[in-house]
Amino acid sequence: MRDNSSMNLYLYQLKSLILKEYKEAFRDKRALLVALMMALLAPVAIVLMSKIMIEKLVDEPPVYVNFNGAEYAPKLIKYFADNNLLNLVDAPVDEKLIWQQRNIVMDIPQDYETDMAQGKPIKLYLRADFTDKAVGPPVRRINNAVRSYSLSIGYKRLLLRGVDVRLLNPLTLVEQDTAKPDATFILISMMLGIYLMLAAFMSGLSVAIDSSAGERERNVLEMLLCQPVSTLQIVLAKLIGASTISIIGVVLVLVLTSLSVGLVDLTKIGATFTLDIMTSLTLLLLLLPICFFASACQLFVAFQTKSFKEAQSTVSILIGIPAFIPFVVSMMDDRPQWLNWLPVAGQSMIIENIFKGVDVNWLAFLATSVVTIAITVTLVVVLAKKLRSEKVVMALS
Amino acid sequence: MIEVNNLHKYFHDKKGKNTVKALDGLSFTAKDGEITGILGPNGAGKTTCLRTLYGLLSADEGFVTIDGITVTEKPLAARAKLGIFPDKFGLYERLTAYEQIDYFASLHGLSGKTKKDAIAQVIDDLDLGKLAHRKTVGFSQGQRMKVTLAQALVHQPQNFVLDEPTRGLDVMSTRILREHLAKFKAKGHCILFSSHVMQEVAALCDRVIIVANGKLAAQGTPQELCDLAGEANLEDAFVKLIGTDEGVAA
Repeated sequence: MRDNSSMNLYLYQLKSLILKEYKEAFRDKRALLVALMMALLAPVAIVLMSKIMIEKLVDEPPVYVNFNGAEYAPKLIKYFADNNLLNLVDAPVDEKLIWQQRNIVMDIPQDYETDMAQGKPIKLYLRADFTDKAVGPPVRRINNAVRSYSLSIGYKRLLLRGVDVRLLNPLTLVEQDTAKPDATFILISMMLGIYLMLAAFMSGLSVAIDSSAGERERNVLEMLLCQPVSTLQIVLAKLIGASTISIIGVVLVLVLTSLSVGLVDLTKIGATFTLDIMTSLTLLLLLLPICFFASACQLFVAFQTKSFKEAQSTVSILIGIPAFIPFVVSMMDDRPQWLNWLPVAGQSMIIENIFKGVDVNWLAFLATSVVTIAITVTLVVVLAKKLRSEKVVMALS
Repeated sequence: MIEVNNLHKYFHDKKGKNTVKALDGLSFTAKDGEITGILGPNGAGKTTCLRTLYGLLSADEGFVTIDGITVTEKPLAARAKLGIFPDKFGLYERLTAYEQIDYFASLHGLSGKTKKDAIAQVIDDLDLGKLAHRKTVGFSQGQRMKVTLAQALVHQPQNFVLDEPTRGLDVMSTRILREHLAKFKAKGHCILFSSHVMQEVAALCDRVIIVANGKLAAQGTPQELCDLAGEANLEDAFVKLIGTDEGVAA
């Protein structure tokens, strides 16, 4: 019974401590906004970057062709235009000169229409300097356009004569690309991975510093240390306060990114990845221990610095961890087994796999989470012990 | 009741070459129903002594008991018996005065109606009503003092330790504090407070402890100390008893 009531007191004190950390954190609106800025910017950056890359990779720039006799085949010209193959006369001024120099000419015969109506073969002539490298891709596109237009007319003719067009395709080649996803896509997903790590590390940063080094500088820590609460309760409350903010940061990145990824069509660059609810939840679950780990590291360092300023600069160095480790890991060809277990490294490898569409290795997931939590617990216990030391007390004055 | 027994405390610098003797066998007792004053020049070891009493520092030798509880053995139980007004105090500037008092009341385990009543009582006692629901960010020194006092008093501690509580208080607030301390004394609480203001100590304290060089230099009622030193007022007695006038001006 007595144990029960002392346990209740312990929890009641902890609740009061946590409540106060929340009040302070959420009332510091400006610091909170700065802390979450990162999370708010992430989706914008990702969408912009993807858009630029997709445009570069997928978009077919207009090709201007000098059509002779365009008036004889309006439907063909329309088909060309749909494929961004345009008439040179319509070219904008700044591009006209280039296309005049490339001088791609297509001759459409005068009797195009009558020959078409009678089903006679029609010859279109394409003239250009085929050795010119800049001419190669446009010519290829014109070639493809003519072939597919021709085929579609051919199919329609056969259909009208009651022939199954499938007879024309006895063999079909299905291409399955086993190549790794597009390098640019990897870059985007890597960026999102690093962003998630950074959000976990950075969102709670200011709260962690403020509630440790900041409180000491404002002379409120001594009063707190004199109260009938254990240093473990104090550390736990501050840890929960700071990591809540960092969890909010991660959730924001996930929600905003999944909303904004819908705005760009990543499949155009061969991405199989969508940030659906299941993926988001998996990522969140994976990053939860990291949020606590990050806050524990920051509190651990900040509590041992001599001033708020020193805390700020020292803790900022910690930001290097989430940015640097995933980068190094992604560069490694031979990844040693133990990397799977390390905090940050383990998680970033799993994130990489999730983005590649590889099934999650739940054992590795569990292992890295357990190791991360174990290190966090160790940091908390050691910090609680350190707060009882005289060195910290002497630094109060 | 606070009993300080033969406290020794040394501070070493990093290389261990220089050792500062902060406390050198200090002993005294602050009894229930009395106001005990600690006097001492700067650097005499007052704050070190009080921090040992809060359980923040551990003595190299000797021990402190609060209501019979040895601080080093059960620091949390000992602190639960204490109300502390520390040497350096700050406020949580994003909280209102009420929330601060509420926070410390909760840390002492008060909850529900008991807590509400206790907070209302202390706010009323210290005349904090108008300030209670304002954030403490713009408070004057005196207002900050009052909130800190309220924080320390809200759980009605048996023992009350104040480190120079009247710094920056206006006359009215000082009077309120004195009345409050007198009321606590009448109820049988033990009050230990350090101060530099001799008149205050003389007027308020039942017993005065003079600390110099980490040792007990003299103790007794203000009158006894004056008699002991053969001086008419406490200030002169104090200077004579510590054997120097160093630090008195501080």
